[in-house]
Amino acid sequence: MARQFELSDTSPVVVIGSGAGGGTLSNELAQKGIDVVCLEAGSRLTLDDIENNPPLMNGRIGWNDKRIGPPVWLCKTVGGTTVRWSGVTPRLQEHEFKARTTYGLLDGTTLVDWPLTLAELMPYYDKAEFKMGVTGTNGIPPSFEISNYKVLKAGGLKIGYKEITSARMAINPVARDGRPGCIQLGFCHAGCKIGAKWSTLYTEIPKAETTDHFELRSNVMALKINHDATGKVTGVVYADSAGEMHEQKARAVAVAGNVIETTRLLLNSASGQFPDGLGNSSGHLGRNYMRHVSSLILAVMPGPVNFHRGTQQTGLIVDEQYHKPERGFAGGYLIETAAGDPGGFAAFLGGWGEPIAKYMESYSRFAGVFITGEDPPQNANRIILHQTERDQYGLPVPVIEYAMHPNSTAMQLHAIRQTTQLYEAIGGVDVRSTEGVFMTCHNMGVARMSARPEDGVTNRWGQVHDIPNLFVSDGSVFTSSAAANPTLTIVALAIRQADHIADRMRRGEL
Amino acid sequence: MNHVIARRRVLVGALALSGLAFVLGPPALRLIRDFLGADALNETTRAAMVRMARLLYPHEAIPDDVYANVLDGALTAVATDMAFADALGAAEAALNAHQPQAFVELDETTQIAAMRAVEGQPFFATIQEAVRSRLYEHPAVWTLIGYEGPSFEKGGYLNRGAGVIDWLPEAP
Repeated sequence: MARQFELSDTSPVVVIGSGAGGGTLSNELAQKGIDVVCLEAGSRLTLDDIENNPPLMNGRIGWNDKRIGPPVWLCKTVGGTTVRWSGVTPRLQEHEFKARTTYGLLDGTTLVDWPLTLAELMPYYDKAEFKMGVTGTNGIPPSFEISNYKVLKAGGLKIGYKEITSARMAINPVARDGRPGCIQLGFCHAGCKIGAKWSTLYTEIPKAETTDHFELRSNVMALKINHDATGKVTGVVYADSAGEMHEQKARAVAVAGNVIETTRLLLNSASGQFPDGLGNSSGHLGRNYMRHVSSLILAVMPGPVNFHRGTQQTGLIVDEQYHKPERGFAGGYLIETAAGDPGGFAAFLGGWGEPIAKYMESYSRFAGVFITGEDPPQNANRIILHQTERDQYGLPVPVIEYAMHPNSTAMQLHAIRQTTQLYEAIGGVDVRSTEGVFMTCHNMGVARMSARPEDGVTNRWGQVHDIPNLFVSDGSVFTSSAAANPTLTIVALAIRQADHIADRMRRGEL
Repeated sequence: MNHVIARRRVLVGALALSGLAFVLGPPALRLIRDFLGADALNETTRAAMVRMARLLYPHEAIPDDVYANVLDGALTAVATDMAFADALGAAEAALNAHQPQAFVELDETTQIAAMRAVEGQPFFATIQEAVRSRLYEHPAVWTLIGYEGPSFEKGGYLNRGAGVIDWLPEAP
């Protein structure tokens, strides 16, 4: 049963955010008997609130407050971006943890190796896959083969790809863990109406609530993290839905606001002792912002595909994830099926007039993929606070500054060429793609883990180098972006972080 | 220019009414909408906007009344969204730039050129987004392009064609 903590209670770990990182960390800690208060800016939806209506659901789950810069895909709702995500859960590869060693020093980047290896993360990947019910692992069958995947596979085989799979999805193919099997609704990005897709909204959060160690406070916006004279954090100031301010005292604080809001909170918590924001003695906080090399690529096939009939993304090609410098760039990318409603795709493709209208008339014959590829960290790609513009809480609005690295541009063009060949090999025509910075993204890197404190914001456990009881628990801690969709790794790192926090508490260090 | 000035006056009125509507609730909002729909957008402008909607996403098989329907849907936002109202004012000015000739009387090439000339302005994206989102939610357009829409009420697509594809070459 859910617990209620006093504001003055100094015993709980305060977790900010209830998505893949925050929701998982909260539950993992609560299961170990550690008290947790989870602060979530959004409200708590039920499956009844979820509708097969993308624009409506964007209003219900999206983080649509003012922000300057390229679009990001944040959610303000209990469950965070796990309500909106696709469920694609590939692992990082070994070389991707050693980006600096493998790729060398790419000009204009700040590449360093992760302060941990694949071998160290492996047991946590196993736990994350079990928790999330990833297809093709733990005896769970591969996902149902949607027609978009069948096209991808046929074309992929034709041009010589070998590693093509419909597994690695955190969507139940059959009932498991109290949730039903997928019935191919489509509309995954609008929230899964039946809960077949893993989301902390109906897994981690209610499970934490079955312990006597967890309280979720939704509709509260964290504004500032306070600390004492010794430099330890002591509590979190937040505004409730009526705008009233409160401070929840804390034994430790973990921030998981999906990169942009994580940065904003740490910067807004600047004090006399930490004038540049919490955890920013290295100057790296908010920098090295990565969002993956991403493109949407569509082709018109010779017959109907009807890619709206089923999951928006199931199935991927792994062959290009490896580091093959002969391609003319470092790192690799994944080719993943992608489908969506016509309004959304007309927006992604952009433009107006006959070229886009005529193209949309081929909708039922579209096959499509989404590219996600390694995006090297750059110092100038960053999240900062606006000098004058304030939001409804009186806080500076976030500004995102991002430009693609030449390595990313080369990779994107390669991915577009390969995918074009793939579709043309089986009769696809009129391949169209988005180039440059894509509208949706995987946010990573602004509080990266580093072996040396001067190279990043957090250590190998996601603990802020400068502050022993302050943690970062979302994609912000990624040292480099790797190619894979980040959620599985965020969950694995959160499980690992919970073990670490519990260990340190046992040893009396926290 | 007169149109724009008239529009501003109407919008100021709408703002005041919006405040009132906040107190009065939905019936008053409907009143504002009717007021704006009937008076604020004169026939020439409305026709120009319907034409613009078609030129943004020209589907030959879709009749004008669908585009008119889409535009009317977009116009309901005027009562509550001042940014949209401003965009509409700017669009009106742009489309009426060829006076005394009305926008709808221009030949298509000139119409498209007039739109190209202003496509970089923020209002254009606002109008385009309003048209795009509503047009591609319209059942007539779904039928045309072969989109089948929400599926939860029908039990999903699992037993309604998911994974069905009959033209692919056999895997080697």
